Amino acid sequence: MGEVKETKTNNKTETPEDEIPGVLTTTTSAISDFLKKTKAQDLINWGRKNSLWFMTQPMGCCGVEMIATGCAHYDTDRFGIIPRNSPRHADVMIISGYVTKKYLPALQRLWDQMPAPKWVIAMGDCSISGGPFYESYSTVQNIDEIFPIDVYIPGCPPRPEALIQGFVELQEKIKAKKDRGTEY
Amino acid sequence: MDEILGSNEIIGPNEMIVHLGPQHPMQPGPFRLNLRLKGETVMDAEVELGYIHKGIEKILENKTYLQGITIVDRICYLVALTNEECFVGCAEKLLDIEPPERAQYIRVILEELSRLQSHLLGMGEFGEFIGFVSMFMYTIKEREDILTLIDMVTGARVTHSYLRFGGVRDDLPAGFKEKAIPVLNNLKKVISDYEEMFNSDRIYRERTAGVGVLTADVAKSLGVSGPALRATGVPFDIRKNEPYLVYKDLDFKVCTETAGDCAARVQVRLNEMRESIYILEQCLDRIPSGPIFPEGTPYSKRTPVMRVPAGEVFHRVEDPRGEMGMYMISDGTDKPYRVKVRGPYFPTLQALPPLIKGTTVADVAAISGSMDGCTSEADR
Amino acid sequence: MDARTIIESLTGEFPEAISEAGIESPIRIRAYVDKEKVKEVCQYLKDSLQFDHLCSVCGVDYPKRNELEAVYHIASYDHPVVLMLKARLPRDSPEVESVIPVYWNANWYERETYELYGIVFKNHPNLKPLVLPEEMLGEWPLRKDYEGFPNKTARNLV
Repeated sequence: MGEVKETKTNNKTETPEDEIPGVLTTTTSAISDFLKKTKAQDLINWGRKNSLWFMTQPMGCCGVEMIATGCAHYDTDRFGIIPRNSPRHADVMIISGYVTKKYLPALQRLWDQMPAPKWVIAMGDCSISGGPFYESYSTVQNIDEIFPIDVYIPGCPPRPEALIQGFVELQEKIKAKKDRGTEY
Repeated sequence: MDEILGSNEIIGPNEMIVHLGPQHPMQPGPFRLNLRLKGETVMDAEVELGYIHKGIEKILENKTYLQGITIVDRICYLVALTNEECFVGCAEKLLDIEPPERAQYIRVILEELSRLQSHLLGMGEFGEFIGFVSMFMYTIKEREDILTLIDMVTGARVTHSYLRFGGVRDDLPAGFKEKAIPVLNNLKKVISDYEEMFNSDRIYRERTAGVGVLTADVAKSLGVSGPALRATGVPFDIRKNEPYLVYKDLDFKVCTETAGDCAARVQVRLNEMRESIYILEQCLDRIPSGPIFPEGTPYSKRTPVMRVPAGEVFHRVEDPRGEMGMYMISDGTDKPYRVKVRGPYFPTLQALPPLIKGTTVADVAAISGSMDGCTSEADR
Repeated sequence: MDARTIIESLTGEFPEAISEAGIESPIRIRAYVDKEKVKEVCQYLKDSLQFDHLCSVCGVDYPKRNELEAVYHIASYDHPVVLMLKARLPRDSPEVESVIPVYWNANWYERETYELYGIVFKNHPNLKPLVLPEEMLGEWPLRKDYEGFPNKTARNLV
């Protein structure tokens, strides 16, 4: 979870059958592994960090603030951060509330549907530590063991400014190649 | 698949099952709508709840009354103040105290502001669901002004923890009225703009007029309340039927429409916003000076450990979505023995499947959106 | 229609089924009802006393008395009186007749009460969990002796 899927392709299965003299054959993962060591990855990350589209799935109080952040007043479009309704368009999943036992499978499925590279932001106390509902019988605790969370935004709920700050932190992380969305 | 829908009918050649949700742009929060379709017609529908059930009733039993205020905030995060009013009102009835007049006015001011922002968001969402995304951007923009006002008083945008037993946490800040009047005046203007925008748009009329029609008798038998009921012509409003706070001294009318369709529900909300502004103007003019907690009592911003006399009470308030009630049992300790939350969206959501049966898929979003939901409160 | 008339009419119609009827305030009345007669009483309330709006159905657990109570809050769209109707049920086999034929919106309330308290509503068309996952059925989380609360799985609990 959280890794770039194409690196999984094994070299053995793609062994070239006949070698062409004078031509170096290679695999896609070898190319991407090579690129990760070069300056080209900086350029790729620059592109990635400036178009962080997030998925809207309001789950709790933070969901309202998430929607407010994506809309007219706070206008995250300035930073290339656009709310998307489909997980297949999204780069960032914001866990905006309490994850219940019933909702966890759906959330994992949404996460699997998102194309890599992808990131998770834990917004609000509920997704970080359970918040006011840490002792509830129906919520799932320790979300950070389930999803590779990059940024934690405390608050109950965090203000839209805090969410924007969280996105800025995520951008910094991507720029510094420290994010958990990609293997470097 | 069959047992999900609760029907054992064999799915015919042109039938299929479509799950809307748990994550779907149409939804105010995660719930699942299972539709059995024949072509484009909805044959059968079922709602599956519980994706954000957090066990608030159990948690409330294990928190002191003061801590409980924080928890009830999160029942429905769009109208945290009305939830608080209901919870605090229950405890006040058991304690047999009444907030001083100034505190009551402050509560009414904040609850009406809260109603305004909730209706704005609800209307914007409805616009988005029927493909009018610009509407959402307009209303969110105006909503921020109101949130700023609420933020100015309570210090929070969404979850306030502002009401206290016998009063409110803080007095209104200096210059509140001067800040509020321009916002309300602007809002009056934009409500007329919205009305014109809605009524002049042919596509909007065709998407909403005559869609999802509820008649008064059906709405009553489904247990619906709030704007959805008032759009059918039933003047049922807890603020009038069972006045709490200072609503009996204030002049306002219950807005009703007769058509009972999606357009009528939106029209009721628009008119209610006008009434809310009128109430706010009266309150800002008439608010008396004085204490915000009853004098000579220990109730204050930080009430010490409070034991509530044993008893039972059922208190109702008017939420933007309808009738909000709480049933509180106290056994004389510092924690409630049982709190039952009766949210307005729970019966409204229950009424959704019979309402969308026989309509087309495209209308499902319009009907669901016109109900202005809050799944969190239905799930609790 | 005022509280006194309603109470008198109700006790007059069901002298055996209704007990401990009382008036708390001009708009709040309460009564205990025999668990076998819930549906009949509700039907009478709806037909004759204008109680056409079911506010909620909920359960309350009293382990000391070894009882569960099913509580019905019944109101009206026309008058402000709310009637709190309670039915005492034994804790080991709580069963009560469903009121769905009278009040349509009782459906979800009864399902919720069933999964949280284990109160079985007889003749309910679709008695299955509403908000809890299927595997939690049988734990009855809102009963007072439920052991899963507080949940201790969270790390870093202070």
